[in-house]
Amino acid sequence: MKVTIKNLTKKFASRDKNGEPVIAVNNLTAEFESGKLIALLGPSGCGKSTMLNMLSGILPVTSGKIYFDDTDVTDLTPDKREVGLVFQNYALYPHMTVLQNICFPLKIKKVPKDERIARAKKIARMVHIDEYLNRLPKELSGGQQQRVAIARALVKNPKLLLLDEPLSNLDAKLRLEMREEIRRIQRESGVTTVFVTHDQEEATSISDYIVLMKLGVMQQFSATRDIYNNPANLFVADFIGNPTINQLHGEYTSSGFKPDGTDEIIPIKADVAEGTRTILAARAESVTFNKGENGISAKVNDMYSSGKDWLLNIDIGNNNLRGYCDADYELIPEEIIKVQFKDKGVFLFDEKSGERYC
Amino acid sequence: MKKISAGRIITYVLLAIGGFIMVFPFIWMLISSLKTWAECGSMPPTWWPHNPTLENYIYAFKTAPFLKYFRNSVIVTIVCTAATMFNTILCAFTFSRLKFPGRDIIFSLMVSLMMIPYEMLIITNYTTIVKMGLYDTLVALIIPFTSSIFYTYILRNFFLSIPDSLYYSARVDGASDWQYLWEVMVPIAKPSLVTIGLLDALACWNSFMWSILVVGSVDNRTLPFGLFAFTDQAGVRFERLMAGSSIVVIPVIILFLFCRKQIVTGVSKGGMKG
Ligand SMILES: Nc1ncnc2c1ncn2[C@@H]1O[C@H](COP(=O)(O)OP(=O)(O)OP(=O)(O)O)[C@@H](O)[C@H]1O
Ligand SMILES: [Mg+2]
Repeated sequence: MKVTIKNLTKKFASRDKNGEPVIAVNNLTAEFESGKLIALLGPSGCGKSTMLNMLSGILPVTSGKIYFDDTDVTDLTPDKREVGLVFQNYALYPHMTVLQNICFPLKIKKVPKDERIARAKKIARMVHIDEYLNRLPKELSGGQQQRVAIARALVKNPKLLLLDEPLSNLDAKLRLEMREEIRRIQRESGVTTVFVTHDQEEATSISDYIVLMKLGVMQQFSATRDIYNNPANLFVADFIGNPTINQLHGEYTSSGFKPDGTDEIIPIKADVAEGTRTILAARAESVTFNKGENGISAKVNDMYSSGKDWLLNIDIGNNNLRGYCDADYELIPEEIIKVQFKDKGVFLFDEKSGERYC
Repeated sequence: MKKISAGRIITYVLLAIGGFIMVFPFIWMLISSLKTWAECGSMPPTWWPHNPTLENYIYAFKTAPFLKYFRNSVIVTIVCTAATMFNTILCAFTFSRLKFPGRDIIFSLMVSLMMIPYEMLIITNYTTIVKMGLYDTLVALIIPFTSSIFYTYILRNFFLSIPDSLYYSARVDGASDWQYLWEVMVPIAKPSLVTIGLLDALACWNSFMWSILVVGSVDNRTLPFGLFAFTDQAGVRFERLMAGSSIVVIPVIILFLFCRKQIVTGVSKGGMKG
């Protein structure tokens, strides 16, 4: 099912520190293609849960419209929307066994008992919890509870599956396992899925599309691959990617970008007035080092490992940055080396507004 | 061998003494009810009756219609308790889950009603019942006790402790408010509900003053009233009185034995939730 969101806004009665009403979601417009997995990504408090709760019908919208395919569902209550929802804390019914939990939506729909159980068991097998059908939720691990919650959300064949940070309670290893599991379940069932997370790595590893939000405003909505290679603004460039993108403060001149604290220039072309304060952002893999003559001078600080790769920490003028180097790089602290930037993964932003120039 | 500390022994001894003091009157009542008039008055008192007899019970059932009293008590208790539970559940749900203007103010007003002493309510209730033409009927025994603000208050607080996400989850699963209440909230609150139900049933079963006021004829007496009347009929015959008392008390003790587990867990759970 296709989901269309038009100018969706949610204001809360509570006030922020400036005395303004909190706008948890601000004029958001997007269209989620059928059968895709969309990640709703952003820092804590940016309105992801609010957004999800409006999609499920738990929260009424302040203004704007939500369409499922071509039906306007903006004013439908949750029980009429045919969505599946998995809460951050799973919200399993504590007095029901796993089987009863999964059967519950079907019981409400008055599906005959035999069919109910058959369908529940089928879903339970799909999410690999068929061994625990007679246990109570409190007798399950976090990962198992989560899969029960997913099964319960899927069993009624929802048109839309909504997941609110379902992995945040799990340990790192289980989290990796479970997100692949979610991806598999989503592919198998083909249900349009919205997955909320504040972890950019989780979002990029699992989703087809990413909606990146900040303070209720959508910053970018694009295919997952594009959001890394083509960030809309500085916030997006900074939020996506590990290690975090390097940021050099400086000035735009006719011949390129001049970092603060040096007179050398990094050649880059953009449609900006000369003298504008800008930020050059460069991914770690777009920074290359040589001990020859080509590029801008930089002072070597240190070198350290990030798992399988090695990062070299250097200063260009007043700016600090990191780039990948070979593991056998011969480190001489304080040495002056040359740095070059690739075309890909290097962007120029306005220093104040974060607007992208190139 | 496992060593038992002195403190432990003292604790057990004290508990045993306390338990004995609590239980002794009941045991004495049962024992006395099985004795003859002569043995009951003998000095020094005998412990176990020499010739245990059901004579006194037969007398009690003959002189006073205890079976009828019993039936009335059962009817009044069941109807009162069922109605109270139903109203308590609905009211607690309304004041914990539904949102409407003035909800909390209305609820505080209701809670403040608990400050009115029972004796004052009795007078107004009495005139109301008489005006309604219900004097000397079982209905009069039931109507004033079909809701309880105190239980509503307790249950509302329990309902408030159930996370919102369960509600939303149930709504997304397709449940209406009504279905959510009966399928999710009530089962979760079962221990509290059992406790409330038992406390209420006990209060109904033992309710005395009110029945004396609004019931006149023998046909509509409940057990406590019946027993009270029986004291006149039994006169000074202590062993007969004890038989009558046993008839009143034994059903409650049996009920407790059956529901002991629920009562204990209900009370301790309610306590932990604060
Ligand atoms: N019921 C509410 N009343 C008032 N303000 C609220 C309410 N719910 C959320 N907010 C505010 O709306 C903003 C967005 O909240 P939301 O829960 O959507 O954030 P989130 O992106 O899900 O954050 P997190 O990652 O921490 O879960 C926050 O500033 C929050 O304080
Ligand atoms: Mg959230």
